[in-house]
Amino acid sequence: MIMLLTGLLTTAALAGGVLSLAALGEALAERVGVTDLGVEGLMSIGAATAALAALASGSPWVGLLAAICVGAAGAAAFAFAAVVMRANQVLCGLATTFLGLGLSATIGHSVAGLPLPVTFTPTPIPLLSSIPVIGPAFFGQNLLVFPIYLVLPALLHILLFHTRHGLNMRAVGENPAAADAVGVPVQAIRFWYTVVGGAFAGAAGAYLSLAVIPSWSEGMVSGRGWIAVALVIFSGYRPFNAAGAGLLFGLISAIGFLGQARGWPIAAPVLNMLPYLGTLAFIILPVVLWKRMRRAMAAPAALGAPYYRSVR
Amino acid sequence: MTRFQRFPTAPARLVLAWRAAALVAAALIVGVLLALSGRDVFVLGELVLHSTVGSRFGLEDLALFMTPLVLTGAAVTVTSRIGLWNIGGEGQFYLGAIGAAGVGLYLPGPQIVVLPLMALAAIACGMAWIIVPTLARAYAGVSEIITTLLLNFVAGLLTYWLATGPWRDRVTGALASSGRISDAIPELWGVVHWGFPLSLAIAAGLAAIMTWTGWGYEVRVSGANPGAARYAGMPMRGRVIAVMLLSGALAALAGMFEVAGTVHRLQGGMADNFGYLGIVVAVLARRSCLAVIPAALLMALILDAGIVLQTQQLAATAVLAITGLVLLLIAIGDELAHYRPVAPASSTRSGVAA
Repeated sequence: MIMLLTGLLTTAALAGGVLSLAALGEALAERVGVTDLGVEGLMSIGAATAALAALASGSPWVGLLAAICVGAAGAAAFAFAAVVMRANQVLCGLATTFLGLGLSATIGHSVAGLPLPVTFTPTPIPLLSSIPVIGPAFFGQNLLVFPIYLVLPALLHILLFHTRHGLNMRAVGENPAAADAVGVPVQAIRFWYTVVGGAFAGAAGAYLSLAVIPSWSEGMVSGRGWIAVALVIFSGYRPFNAAGAGLLFGLISAIGFLGQARGWPIAAPVLNMLPYLGTLAFIILPVVLWKRMRRAMAAPAALGAPYYRSVR
Repeated sequence: MTRFQRFPTAPARLVLAWRAAALVAAALIVGVLLALSGRDVFVLGELVLHSTVGSRFGLEDLALFMTPLVLTGAAVTVTSRIGLWNIGGEGQFYLGAIGAAGVGLYLPGPQIVVLPLMALAAIACGMAWIIVPTLARAYAGVSEIITTLLLNFVAGLLTYWLATGPWRDRVTGALASSGRISDAIPELWGVVHWGFPLSLAIAAGLAAIMTWTGWGYEVRVSGANPGAARYAGMPMRGRVIAVMLLSGALAALAGMFEVAGTVHRLQGGMADNFGYLGIVVAVLARRSCLAVIPAALLMALILDAGIVLQTQQLAATAVLAITGLVLLLIAIGDELAHYRPVAPASSTRSGVAA
């Protein structure tokens, strides 16, 4: 039983890291009022870039760094259109997703389906990794897993809720006109945190192609970016909740893998539907069941609305 | 100095001008990238012209691409009229294909009876597929964007499972494909089937309903000004539900036309992004059901040009990247169309003072 639980949690932590990373980045962008629906495309292009860069350099860290840069660059293109030019955020996000999916398949053509020789391999941390159940899951894996669940959410939580800058960020997402009136640079904050969010999405792609799968193939992101966007809503735009939600959905996928490995009499495509159906249930049910939660978990008030100084 | 001010409305001629500029910019970017990768852009351009509007095969292909695009584009357009986004056209397309294929595969009978039944089954399946996001939107205010989208992946897996599992082709053993469906929409011109004029007629019919009926008026008001609609006592919730179901039915009908008119089987991956491209078509059409037709033509031209690029050792998905680029530039252009030059404010103010 302990063995099974450890195995499930280990798989969940590994697979859920993709969703957690992407959701953390998206939470940042949405906190400052920008809905970035380009996550799926940015993850895809991050995954392809990471595979190419890791192969060329022989180091997964170079792959990760390249993916972070490409994710940030893609998000900068999105933010130029959606924040600087104030074009419709939904359209720009979809366009970024199309661009990312198309470009990644084009540049990744040469390495599609190849198993990657350089990947993030498990590096157990002494002492911590010998804690039962959670040790192997969070500290016995590659060196990205525990930062994703513990370090990054803590940093983002402190940034958002315990610094003056974080207060400004949230003000930009809730009431940009008021923030502008007291001298907060609304457009700059929106632009740069959208770019940082894109860097997270690129990193999530690298983590997928260098640690989880590990290989690049067209369509490998398969909706994980969209699930991450949904998880941000589900998490109430809070970093620890977002990371936890990623882990929860890692667990749903892990149960699917377990079913396939044990030969449950359910077809593989049906088991693969679980994360999507789970996400659907998790964003609808809380709203229906706990109406009081709606206010506490509500989206930033100015989410998705471009800011025009002249119409305040 | 002339000042540019943002206006709440964008006049059609400005929108058209900015869009033409956006398309030229997109063509330039793609052309430069192709030239940098060592391809002769002018030879490619000639090939593209020949394989789209310059030959009979090209024109037939255009009509075949347009048929599903008009319907998925109309599906997104009707929801945008009430201020919603149905991003689930891809999934509803699959469900329409599943419904049509199920009837076509397992219901014997004369074609004249089976074909309408296939369409009805497709519409029922498409509506069933969008009902959960619809009710979540109407009664709990859950954003329909994510919920409709998530179901696309489920629908894709469901189609794949049916085509490789229970409904797989046991005769020829074709991969990820059901058996051949004998009931087909009759052909009209070459490989172009009656689904093409039918889809155009549906778009025109929707435009008439939206413009000239009380129902269409209430939908438009609910989208343009929800507060006013509620104050006037319009049944907003009922309109939202009806519009979403209509949208699901339209996308599903595209799936039925594709099964019964072009593919004649249920295949994994057969939606081929038509559902997502419907969003692009709807954006191009700017909420007008009639404008969906020229918008679908433009999208079909891009897809058809993509086939030429594939023969030039470019990945099939390069056309998706080009579509993304076009959509991004057009989104910027549509926003820029809101800006018009106004008389310099400073001079009038000083004029009053003097």
